[in-house]
Amino acid sequence: MIVSSGGEHLSQKGLVLAQAQALARSAPVIFQVREKMLDSASMWRLCSQIAPLVDNSGSILTINERFDIALASKAGGVHLPESSCPADVVRKTARKLLAGQSVHSETAALKATSTGLDYLLFGPVFHTPSKEPFGPPQGLDRLREICEKVRIPVFAVGGITPEKVPACIECGAWGVAALTPFLDAGSLPETVNRFYSFMQS
Amino acid sequence: MTLPRRVLCVITDEHSNPVELARMALQGGAGMVQLRRKTASGQELYEWAVRIQALCSEQQALFIVNDRVDIAMAVHADGVHLGQQDLPASAARALLAPDAIIGVSVSSATEAIKAAEEGASYIGVGHIFPTFSKDKPSEPLGTASIRPIGRAAQLPVIAIGGIGHDNAAEVIRAGASGIAVISAVSDSDDPETAARELVRRIRE
Repeated sequence: MIVSSGGEHLSQKGLVLAQAQALARSAPVIFQVREKMLDSASMWRLCSQIAPLVDNSGSILTINERFDIALASKAGGVHLPESSCPADVVRKTARKLLAGQSVHSETAALKATSTGLDYLLFGPVFHTPSKEPFGPPQGLDRLREICEKVRIPVFAVGGITPEKVPACIECGAWGVAALTPFLDAGSLPETVNRFYSFMQS
Repeated sequence: MTLPRRVLCVITDEHSNPVELARMALQGGAGMVQLRRKTASGQELYEWAVRIQALCSEQQALFIVNDRVDIAMAVHADGVHLGQQDLPASAARALLAPDAIIGVSVSSATEAIKAAEEGASYIGVGHIFPTFSKDKPSEPLGTASIRPIGRAAQLPVIAIGGIGHDNAAEVIRAGASGIAVISAVSDSDDPETAARELVRRIRE
């Protein structure tokens, strides 16, 4: 399960901190921090503050795109958007980080798998306002095609609710990623559990 | 790596092709190129950085990246230039080679001393003159600020902000090791000649 923060238009430092604190009571997840409105110094301070919290909770903190900030704040990984510094270069430069990438097409997915990445995010699978910039929903059939062709774990993203998890897993997804269900930080542990319960059923 | 004396650092602007600008600036004698493009994607920055790094190596000039320590690491640039809103110099120092050039923008002796304590190699002091390149609400520092700020930090000063042909020599006389320019080169019809003329003025 990947829990994403974010982040297009307003910075939500308070929410990210509350989510990181709530992870102490949650089953382990990958916590992906993506705050586009923060400058590098603010992002570094925020990540340095939450990295020990996330680490102690057994979850893994990944930072969007900036592997320098990930390394400097002692996060566990980096998550690359499609238009990032090339994945193979990131892999070589920051060897100890977990590294994943978002992809929105089969071409990008196949290209990404040859670069030594640990996992991919594919989507948007379903309709969601937060993923509208990444095009129309790709649907479950596209997800299935990608999962069949790609040899590394694929997480389904975009409009994922707990009820939609079994269909994604059935398509071959390793897991799912979501943002909106976790905007209420207080109920994050319960929401994570609900997602996990649908992965096992 | 050491900062050359009387160096011209050309910073890329938000509009020009940064590789072409760097090529012309280097042909004109710039000793340092700083890649700065706040609106670019990581992929664009990486592709430009690879090519500018190669051009700088050919000319034995320094190549540094603004803000993005990740891009500097990815292309093995000579260093980075950090603003007050970027990673602290100490964090960058821990990620880069021990001899990497780390510049920090400062506008006061207090910021300069902090930059020195965090391991900066030079300080970018500005803006010295009125400038339209960046939105600067504060008053220009003037050339008289260069020496005291440099002495406070015990670091070389690269002066920035509103520097052109008419005042470049004055900045050097006021104690700067070098000058950094954006529009004086990038907005010129002939960036190569503009760079050459600036180099001539700071070496007079």
